[in-house]
Amino acid sequence: MAGNYYYITAEKLAEQGSKNIPDELIGNKHLIYSSPATLAFNSPGAQGFGVKRAGLAVPDSVMLLVAPRCCGRNTSALAAPGNLGERFFYLLLDDTDIVTGRHLVRIPEAVKEVCDSLPQKPSAVMICITCVDALLGTDMERVCRKCIEKAGVPVEPCYMYALTREGRLPPMVQVRKSVYSLLKPLPKRSDAVNILGFFTALSEESELRFLLKKAGVSKIRELALCGTFQEYLEMAEANFNIVLNQEARFAAADLEKRLGIPSIELVRLYQLDKIRHQYQLFAAAIGCEFDDEKYFKEAENTLQDFIKRHGKLRISVGEWLNADPFELALALLRYGFEVPEIFGTVGEGNFVWVKRIAQLSPETRISSNLSPTMLHYADNTVPCDLCIGKDARYYHPGVPGVDWNGEVQPFGYDGVKRLFTELDAALTAGKES
Amino acid sequence: MKGFLKRLSPFAPDNSGVVSALFELGGLIAICDAGGCTGNVCGFDEPRWFTMRSAVFSTGMRDMDAILGRDNLLVDKIVSAQESVQAPFIVLVGTPVPAVIATDFKALRRMTEKRTGVPVLTVESTGVNGYDKGASKALEMLFDAFAVEKFAVEADTTGVLGATPLDFSSCRAGGYITSALPGKVNVYGMGAGLQEIKKASAAALNLVVSPAGIAAAVLLEKRFGTPWKMTCPWIPESVTNEIPAAKGKRVIVLHQQIAGVSLRELLLKAGAADVAVASYFMMEKSLMQIQDRLLKEEDDLSAMVRDFNADIVIADRNFKKVLPDFKGSFIDFPHFAVSGRLLDE
Repeated sequence: MAGNYYYITAEKLAEQGSKNIPDELIGNKHLIYSSPATLAFNSPGAQGFGVKRAGLAVPDSVMLLVAPRCCGRNTSALAAPGNLGERFFYLLLDDTDIVTGRHLVRIPEAVKEVCDSLPQKPSAVMICITCVDALLGTDMERVCRKCIEKAGVPVEPCYMYALTREGRLPPMVQVRKSVYSLLKPLPKRSDAVNILGFFTALSEESELRFLLKKAGVSKIRELALCGTFQEYLEMAEANFNIVLNQEARFAAADLEKRLGIPSIELVRLYQLDKIRHQYQLFAAAIGCEFDDEKYFKEAENTLQDFIKRHGKLRISVGEWLNADPFELALALLRYGFEVPEIFGTVGEGNFVWVKRIAQLSPETRISSNLSPTMLHYADNTVPCDLCIGKDARYYHPGVPGVDWNGEVQPFGYDGVKRLFTELDAALTAGKES
Repeated sequence: MKGFLKRLSPFAPDNSGVVSALFELGGLIAICDAGGCTGNVCGFDEPRWFTMRSAVFSTGMRDMDAILGRDNLLVDKIVSAQESVQAPFIVLVGTPVPAVIATDFKALRRMTEKRTGVPVLTVESTGVNGYDKGASKALEMLFDAFAVEKFAVEADTTGVLGATPLDFSSCRAGGYITSALPGKVNVYGMGAGLQEIKKASAAALNLVVSPAGIAAAVLLEKRFGTPWKMTCPWIPESVTNEIPAAKGKRVIVLHQQIAGVSLRELLLKAGAADVAVASYFMMEKSLMQIQDRLLKEEDDLSAMVRDFNADIVIADRNFKKVLPDFKGSFIDFPHFAVSGRLLDE
């Protein structure tokens, strides 16, 4: 299996422009290598927050997966008692089902059986369907209506259509809509907002919470923090939604249309000056002022302490992390670090960062985790002192680093502060061992 | 209800079985899917994925590929990957998507062979059947394609067919099986690679250690006259240590059938009153006794335990979930294809 892995320098990629991204960096132009570095994000149902786990974000809901057995297989990983396993049910399809669609008539009965088997009725049954039904053109709205009639509980579809991953509404966009679709109109409260975008909670220490509270917002709701279905329903009284992940835009638009809740989008950034600028724009949009100096200083001090302790290191940046790898890489370069390589998916949306990276570090190598040539990436091909991202750590065994893909969602200055605190701990532990 | 699971999660599918049987052989394996199936195979059903590199890829099908049947595009992708990998053979693995759109695998094979110049195998798995069926098809095809030359028989060489981590719940199973047998042992797909497969006719005997190996053994017998028998020479110590407790007891062994039958022999020797073998996977009729059962639905196991009046159940501990009322002893016999749990975990 001798060969070379594919990379392109930032300079060359910027020169070629966003309209001429090489095929090797575009997932649908080559076979896809699902190395251990990519498993969490390379499949709508694989590890991490795929459609299956995400669909269960509605409190007290259960999921019925209607699919061939191969689609539900990895759910065993969530099956430990007390884990989500107790909330999964399956209606497995056979050879005839996947060709004729005859399974559709069994779904209402299966939903009823799910409800009857539980000591308490679930708040909702999420029906997860897969590529088979995408191809059969199944009308899930109709199937769900039949299920509601039969079982007497809310039933919502979750589309785990891997085939549409690069389409207008990929699975992780659709599922974000699904999990908010049970909300019904409520009178608005001017002091209530929702944070949309993640399936786990925003860091408790994030300054966004404190800034909103100072601005008079007393109710900040997140799906992951709704302990009961009632709390979930109260999300409908929000005055506006804050979208922290662009995959929630479609859900936010739906909530605006159905419940009249407008939204504003904030981007997760690691460049301190950009974070500050974004907060200024946000404050202006909602008609207030944010005093973020304290949080800015804390993050900056943590960064400067880190540089003092460890110097300007060479950092490999992956994409299996809570960041846009290119924005994070740019932030690191602007702080004076070297970034010899980035593993990431380049698109029009983040090409702006690539251009800036090319100016600061033209030789930075950019690779796609999904390229078949990554089979040839030998350990530590590109030397570095530190890695960020679970994939970067996979390629650099033995090099200190952080996964930075934890479930507590970092954001804003607090995200920067926590990142450098964790990096410091990783380097210190590396030195000690 | 048929196919309805309340307590169990789905067992390993046929496409996982295909990959498991071929994983160590150096081929380029292209799973014809949108990405999800490959994620399941690599991220869950193939424990060697995390310690050993293998050219397993998803073809990354998208809706328009499926609707328009863009086979040329698929072949282009495979050719491009093959230029980088330089594999000695290529395998195309089916999933539900090609099953629904009726992909012409024969045409794909011809197109890919023509452009790459290496042998191409196509295994039309569908994702709805068990891993054992996929592994069986893959092994049969593999030996059919590569074990073609007749070599002189080596009296002390034994071939082992049907060993995968899915059945043996260990990435080191090839070594364990080898240690349990005399002479030179080739555990195909778990230690013995493509060269040994090409020389399969040199084996004096083939041992079939799981039902997935039967079809390949039949083929090798027809082609070279190699005799074969079904037995599982290695059962984990964690299970065999518990055998004395079965004296005078009625025991159900639930696993892959050949492991179950071999364990039955040990249990009966140790004085078990009666032993029934059950499986949710392929059951070879010639090995079945009257009390044995091929199980299909989740509730079938509890019915069998009740009807057989079992004192002991030996099975993957995942099955405890479907036996809430069982008052006898339960002995854990991990089965990776059921629980995704390795023996060493």
